[in-house]
Amino acid sequence: MATTTLTAQNGKAATVRKTFSRQTSVSTEINADSSIIWALLTDAAGYPRWNNTVIAIDGNISAGENIKLKSTLDPKRTFKLRVKKFDPEHKLVWGDAMGNRVYTLMENGNGPVLFSMTEKIGGPLFPLFAKMIPSFDNSFEQFAAGLKKEAENIMNTK
Amino acid sequence: MTASQFTNEFQQVSGQLKSFLLRITASVADAEDILQDTYIKATEKLDTFKGLSSLKTWLFTIASNLAKDNLRAKKRWVENVTDIAKEAALSNPQFLQQSMHIRTTSPQGQFEIKEHIAFCFTCIAKSLPLEQQISILLKEVYEFKLSEISEILATTEAMVKYYLHTGRSKMIDIYEGRCALINKQGICHQCSEINGMFNPKQKFQEEAVKIDMAREAGNAGKERLFDLRLQIIKGIDPFKSNAAELQLHHLEHNRRVMEKYLEKVTV
Repeated sequence: MATTTLTAQNGKAATVRKTFSRQTSVSTEINADSSIIWALLTDAAGYPRWNNTVIAIDGNISAGENIKLKSTLDPKRTFKLRVKKFDPEHKLVWGDAMGNRVYTLMENGNGPVLFSMTEKIGGPLFPLFAKMIPSFDNSFEQFAAGLKKEAENIMNTK
Repeated sequence: MTASQFTNEFQQVSGQLKSFLLRITASVADAEDILQDTYIKATEKLDTFKGLSSLKTWLFTIASNLAKDNLRAKKRWVENVTDIAKEAALSNPQFLQQSMHIRTTSPQGQFEIKEHIAFCFTCIAKSLPLEQQISILLKEVYEFKLSEISEILATTEAMVKYYLHTGRSKMIDIYEGRCALINKQGICHQCSEINGMFNPKQKFQEEAVKIDMAREAGNAGKERLFDLRLQIIKGIDPFKSNAAELQLHHLEHNRRVMEKYLEKVTV
């Protein structure tokens, strides 16, 4: 049932649509230490500084914590999410009953770190409201570009 | 290194250590206690000092660790600390009387705008996470290299870069929103207000333009203005300046106000 092939690379988002789910992914290479990228991903208060898709995140982004996220995708809504996986400098997952967002960092020796972000939403009732959910593609691309820019800026600090 | 050589070298660094500790703790008593503890601990561990880093870096490492222990249980201050402290000061005639007494009788009781800028920085930087505050001070005020700061904080250079970048960004944003010296829309005019109180015959604008940061405010970018602010702080020893007693009195006031405030908001 997939209508798009998943080819999320070099900061371009890709979405796979199925009857009962939708999955958007993006990945980009970042020339920065994975500890910097991880620190940015887990500093809730700092998101609006580098990420123009996030209005605010309240709470602590750490294992088992609940956070509240306001996004430019739907500014009137507050997403109540739980941090489901917290594996420092490797994997971060937050989500709710509708779906999960997964962030992964893959180191490649002394080369750049491959950052990937995937969100899968869906369920039995997904077809009823699928059309009401906006595309994540632009937002994902902005997220990845913002993270790359900020992390590389930090890495270049003298 | 012999004990007497160490004591001699410690004395040369102790002024910087003490001002660093004051800027982290905002407490003269704590800064003095930690300085003394640093000396004792360093003396006890002198045989473990192999000279792989400079003695100054080693002493700042010990002092930073002791300061972190001291601050671990204490909450970080809030960005609008100066607003809260101002309100408390205005409703405390005794504090204002004491300030005026220091201003008129102490040789270190002058009010200077630059000194107030440094005092203000100490207060607002306490709203940053501790590692960010320490990294900025070590790099920009005490001129440590990234590698030395990573040693002092027992972390990687990458994380020191993160602390510096995020700490700077936050401070720049705070000053951009608050400081009327660099932004006409800034909501805080305390340096001019207090100057009017302590130096009633002085024209504030005439004094302000003597300060590079204020003079360049209309043209320079935020980063440059922040660097100029840091230059001011670097040039001031909070214990030895002409305004030391007055500013330390104000700092003690702000510390007490903040401790009460943070206790209240926690309950």
